[in-house]
Amino acid sequence: MDADGLNDALGLSNDKSQNLGAYIYQPSKHGKSAGERPSKRRKVSSTVDRYEQFDRQRFVPLLNGDEIPKSVQLRHDTYRELWSKQENKIQDILEDVDAGVLTDVLSFVRDTSPQTCDGCIPTALVTVGSNVSSLSRLLSRLNGQLISTEEGSVVVLESGDAPNLKTTLKNIIRAAVTNTDGNDGYQKFLTDRAGPRLLGYDLDLLHDYVQRKGTKKLVLALRDSEAFDPGLLTDLLSLFKSWLDRIPFTVLLGISTSVELFEGRLPRSCVSLLQGKHFEVQEAGNCVDRIYETLQTNPDANLWLGRNVTSTLFENTSDYFQSPEAFSRMVKYAYMSHFFANPLAVLLANPDSTVIAQNKLCEAIRNLPSFRMFCEDLVEEGSTKQVRGMLEDDEYLIQETPKYLEANQQRMRNMFQAVRVVHVCLQYTQSAKKANVSDLSVRALSGELSESPIVEEMVATAKTLDSDKLDELLVRLGGIITNPEADAIQEDLRTLLETCSESGPLCSGYNINSTVTKTTVVQQRIRLSKGQADLSEQAVEYTNIVNRLVALLQVHLTESLINPQDLFLNEAFLFDLRNPLKETFAPRPRFAIERALATPFDYLLSSSDVTMAKVSAKQPATSILYQLYLDSGALVNVHDLWQAFYGVFETEEAGGCDDRVVMSLFYSALSELKAFGVIKNSRKKTDHLAKSAWMGL
Amino acid sequence: MKRKLSDAGDQPPVSTPKRRRTALEQSNGALNSHAPNASPPNGDASHELPPSGRGQSTPKKANGVSATPLQQSGLKTPTHKSKARGLFATPTKPKSATAATPSRVKNADRSARKKSARVLFEQDEDTAWDGSERLAEEILHGDQPDTEKAGQPLAESIEPEGEEDAPEKGVKQPKRRAGRPKGARNKRSPTPDGELPAHERYFFQNRAGPVKTSNATLNKVPLLTHEEYFEKLGQFEDPCKEEKEYLQSLHHRSFPQWAFEFDEGFNICLFGYGSKRKLTDEFAEWIYNHRLSDTANPTIVMVNGYTPGISIRSIFATIVTAVMGDNAPSKLGAQPTEVLELLQAALKSHEEPVTVLINSIDAPPLRRAANQALLARLAATPRIRLLVTADTPNFPVMWDISLRDQLNLVFHDCTTFLPFSAETDVVEEVHALLGRKGRRVGGKDGVGFVLKSLPENARNLYRLLLTELITLLDDGHQSDDEGAAEGGKPGDETGIEFRLLYQKATEEFVASSEMMFRTLLKEFHDHQMITSRMDASGMEILGVPLSRDEMEGVLEDLVLG
Repeated sequence: MDADGLNDALGLSNDKSQNLGAYIYQPSKHGKSAGERPSKRRKVSSTVDRYEQFDRQRFVPLLNGDEIPKSVQLRHDTYRELWSKQENKIQDILEDVDAGVLTDVLSFVRDTSPQTCDGCIPTALVTVGSNVSSLSRLLSRLNGQLISTEEGSVVVLESGDAPNLKTTLKNIIRAAVTNTDGNDGYQKFLTDRAGPRLLGYDLDLLHDYVQRKGTKKLVLALRDSEAFDPGLLTDLLSLFKSWLDRIPFTVLLGISTSVELFEGRLPRSCVSLLQGKHFEVQEAGNCVDRIYETLQTNPDANLWLGRNVTSTLFENTSDYFQSPEAFSRMVKYAYMSHFFANPLAVLLANPDSTVIAQNKLCEAIRNLPSFRMFCEDLVEEGSTKQVRGMLEDDEYLIQETPKYLEANQQRMRNMFQAVRVVHVCLQYTQSAKKANVSDLSVRALSGELSESPIVEEMVATAKTLDSDKLDELLVRLGGIITNPEADAIQEDLRTLLETCSESGPLCSGYNINSTVTKTTVVQQRIRLSKGQADLSEQAVEYTNIVNRLVALLQVHLTESLINPQDLFLNEAFLFDLRNPLKETFAPRPRFAIERALATPFDYLLSSSDVTMAKVSAKQPATSILYQLYLDSGALVNVHDLWQAFYGVFETEEAGGCDDRVVMSLFYSALSELKAFGVIKNSRKKTDHLAKSAWMGL
Repeated sequence: MKRKLSDAGDQPPVSTPKRRRTALEQSNGALNSHAPNASPPNGDASHELPPSGRGQSTPKKANGVSATPLQQSGLKTPTHKSKARGLFATPTKPKSATAATPSRVKNADRSARKKSARVLFEQDEDTAWDGSERLAEEILHGDQPDTEKAGQPLAESIEPEGEEDAPEKGVKQPKRRAGRPKGARNKRSPTPDGELPAHERYFFQNRAGPVKTSNATLNKVPLLTHEEYFEKLGQFEDPCKEEKEYLQSLHHRSFPQWAFEFDEGFNICLFGYGSKRKLTDEFAEWIYNHRLSDTANPTIVMVNGYTPGISIRSIFATIVTAVMGDNAPSKLGAQPTEVLELLQAALKSHEEPVTVLINSIDAPPLRRAANQALLARLAATPRIRLLVTADTPNFPVMWDISLRDQLNLVFHDCTTFLPFSAETDVVEEVHALLGRKGRRVGGKDGVGFVLKSLPENARNLYRLLLTELITLLDDGHQSDDEGAAEGGKPGDETGIEFRLLYQKATEEFVASSEMMFRTLLKEFHDHQMITSRMDASGMEILGVPLSRDEMEGVLEDLVLG
C-alpha cells in the first residue's frame, strides 16, 4: 500500500498541519481529485450564479430545495426584525433589574472614601448567588458611568489573572491604563516616563497614572472572589491599604456564596482592613420570569413558544442555574430554529401572494395536521365546498391562509391576555403559593388552564373578596380586559362605594361571615342548616356586582383559553419542538459515546440490512472492544481481552485474517478507550486493566 | 503470588492410580476423625504429623523444606520430624505406583509444598476469599497424589477458580468447617444473571473480594512497534467505510446551520465518538468558500489541542498574527492575558469576524482549569467565533456555570467513527497502559519522533553517533570471529568513547564546547535514546539502545531528511 493510501485510511492529511499546535488556515491548493467535495461545491456555485444576491445570508432553501429565494430571504429578514424587537425588550428588562443595585453601588462608590471608612479600604460586597452574569453587566455599566463623568474607572480582575502577587499587580496596572488609554497608551505610558524605568508591577506606576488622570475613584472589582487564593488576597489588600493615601482604591467583591463564608476564609487582620456595605443582586429566577412574560404576553407578539419549549426552558434554568442571558439565548435559538427550518415561517412575514404561490408551500400547508383538523371541522359544519376549494384550488388557499393566520394569532394573543388576567386575579385570591406566569402559561399552552383547579379556586375566592380589594382588582384588570361590561362593573362599584364610604368595606353574600348556621330541633334530632344572613341593601347590591364580575370572568376565560394545538396554522406561529433546543443546550455526550460504541449501527446506517445484535467483526474495532469490556468485571486481563477480541475476527473471517492486523486494531481500540478514561492500568496484577466507567451511570 | 502454584502444573502428568486416591481419602478421613495422637493407619500418611489444633501451623513446621520463622514455636522437635521423614516417607515414595523419574516428581511435590507453605504463612485478606489457602493446606497435608490433583486443574488456570475446587471436593469435604463454604457467597461470574440496571451492575462487579481473572500475561504475545502498527493498520479494510462516509456527509449538511449560529453570536461545540478533525478541516474549507464578502479572505485559525506542549499563549499569538498580519508587534508579552488583551484591542478595529477552530479542547494539554478559563474569555470576545470539538465522554465538567456562560456554546452530536490517528500516539499509549514504559523509545519510530522535534545540531550529533557505532560494528564483524555469538544485542554492547565522540563533534562543528555537547547528550538521555556506561578503565562509553537494523533505518532517515 502506498503512503497516500495509508494516510487516507488513517484519516491523516498529507500536510503537516495535524502536528502543528495552532496555525492560520490556508485552503489546500492541490484540489483533491476524488471525493464528493468538488462536485458539491460546483452545485452550490451554480445556485450562487442564479441568485447571487441571496447568497449573502445563511438560510438554505427548504421544501426539498424548491423554496424560492425570495421566500428564503423573507424568512431571514423576518427573523432579524422579530428578534431585534424581542432583544430590545430583554435588554430593557435586564437594565431595569440591574438599575436598583447599580444606583446603590454607584452612590456607595461616590460617597465613600477612606476617611469615611475610618482609614479602611472602602469595600462593596456584592452577592450574586447563581446569577453570575449579572455582575459583569453591573461592572461594565459602572465602568461606563464612572468614565463618562471622569471620576475614575473600574478594573475587573478574575482569579485566572492572579496566579501570584507580581502578575496580579501587573495585570491591575495594565488593565487600569488600557481601560482608558488603550493598549498603545499603556506602552507609551511605560516608556514615556521621566526618571528610571519602573517595573510593570510597581504601584508607583498606578500612582502616576492616577495623578495624571485626576482619578478620584479607582474601583477594583474581583469578579469571583472565592476563587482567589486567600493568601494572595491578604497580601494584595494589605498592599492596597498602605497605598490608600496615594491611590483612591475602592474594592468590589463579587461573592457567590455568602458574606459570612467569604469572611471566614480570610484572616482577621485582612478583614479588619476592609469596611463597607453589602449589596444583593436579584436572583435569576425572577428576571427569567419577567423576560418570559414580556415575550409571550406582549400584545403585538407574532410567534409564541409552545408548552414543550417552555418547560424545557425552565427546566434548564432551574437545573443548570442559567443566567437570564443564557435564558434569552435559548429563546433566541428557538426563534432561530423556527425561521431556519420551518418553511411556513415565511407566512409570519405577511408576504404578498407571489411568495405563497409556491406549489410546494401550498402542499406543505395541506399536509399540516392542523389543516386536516380544520377541514374535518368544516366538513362537520357542512361547508364542504370551502374544504374542496382549499384542497384543490391553490389560489383559494392562498387567499384564505393569511386571514386564518391573522385570526388565530389574535386568539393566541387573547389567550395570553387571559393568562395575565388569571395571574392578576391570583395575586388577590391566592394567599400561600404564588403561581407565576410561566406555570400558568404552560397550562394554558397545553389547553388545561380553563378547567384547572387553580382557576376554579380563583373564581370561588374572588366571590368572597371585600369591596376594597375588588376595587383594586378591577383597576388592575381594567388595563387588560377591554370589555364594556368590565367598565360598567367598575362604574357601578364606584357609585356603590361612594354611597356607603363610611361603613367600611362591603362584603358579598358569599363571604363566610354572611352565612349563618341555624340549629333547629326536628323530631328530637338536631338539624343544622345554613342560610343567608340578612344582608344590608348595599351588601345585596355589592353581591350583584360580584356576580356580574365572576360571570364576566368565566365567560372571558372560557372564550380565550383555547388549546393552541387546535388552531389552524399553529405550526407557523407556535414553536413547540422540544428537541433541537434540549439537545443543543443540555447535551448528553457520555450517552452519545456509549451509544455509539455499544450499538454502532444506530449511527452507521448499515447498507446491508443485517441488524446485528451481537458483537461482530463488521463493527468498528472500538465498538467490539467496548462491548467485550462491558461484559467484563472490574478487573480485566489484557491477554484474555485480546484473545476474545481476536476470537471475534477469527470466527467470522475463516482463515483469512492476519492476527497482526487484528492486533493493530486492538491497539487502536485500546488507546481510544484509554483516552475516554474508561480503562486504566491496574497494579493489582500484571497485564490487567481496571474498569473505571459503567455504562448508563 | 499465590498463583505461582500453577507452576506445579508444568510437571509431566503422573498417572494416579485409583487405589491410591481412595487410600488417601481414607487417611484423610482417619486423620480427621481420630484423636490427634492416633497412629497413622498406613504408610501414605505416615510422614504427616498428627494435626494439632486447626492443623495449620503444624504442617508448616513439619514440612522441613520451608524455613519459616515459626519453626521453633511448635511442639515437635526438628529431629523428630526429620526422623519421621527419614524413616517412613522416603522409602514409601519409590514404592508408589508412579513410574519414570521419582526425583522429579518429588521435586515438584516439594516445590508445590514450599509454595503452599508460603501461601499459608503470608495469609492476607485476599487469600481468604479464594480457594488457595485451602488448596495449600491440602497440599501440605496430602501426599504426592494430592499434589498432582491440585496441579492438574491449575494447569487450566484460565478457568475461573470456582471450577478448580470441584475435583477436590471429595477430599476436602471432611475438613470444611460448619457453615457456608468459603467463597461460595462471592462466587464470581463477570456477567450477572439477568439484566441488571447499570448501578446494580456496578455494585455487583465491585463487591468486596478479589476478582477472578486468569493469570495469562502478554509475555508470549509479541507487541507491536510503531512501524508494524502503521503497516498492519494500512492493510486493514474497513467494513463500515461507506457508512462512515455517509455519516460524514450528514454532518456536512449542517454547515450552513453552524454558520448561521456563528452569525447569531453562538459558539459551537461538537461532541460524539470519533475524530472530528476532518470535519473541522472541511468546515474551515466551507467557510473559506462561502465567505460573505468578496474582498477579504476570511480569517480562520486552526488549533490542535492534542499537540503536546501547546500553550494558550501560542494560540492567542497565532490569532493575533492572523488578525493583525504584519502590523503585529514583535514582542507580544509573556503572559497569555497580555496577548489576549492585545487581541481584544486589535479586534475592536477589525470588521471581519475571526473564526477559531479548536480540535480536542478536552485533550490533556488544554484540560487545565486555568487554560479553559482563558479560552472562555477568548470565546466571549466579540467577533471571535469559536468552534471546539471534544472527544471525551465527560468533557462538560471542565466548565462551571460562569465559564459556560462565557463560552456561550451550542452543542451538536457529531459522531464520526473516525480513528483518532493524529490525536493519540496509539502504540505509546497502549504500552503505557500495559505498564511497558521501557519500550517508550524502543524502535526506530520513537527515536525518529524525538529527533524530529530536536534542533538541527542535536540531529547532527545523533547522526554522528550512529555513523560511528555502525562503523565500529562493521569493523568488529570483520575482525572478530565471535561476532555471531554477540549478534543478539549489538547496540548494547558496542559503544563509542565519550572523548572520542566529543572530538568528532567539534570537528564537525556540532558542538563548540563540552558544555554544549553535554546539553545535547542530556536531551538524548532524557528520551532514553542513548545508553552510557563506564568501562573497566573508567572511560564513559556511549551506546544506542537499538538493533543494528533500526540504527541503520534511523540513520537513513536522518541523512535523507
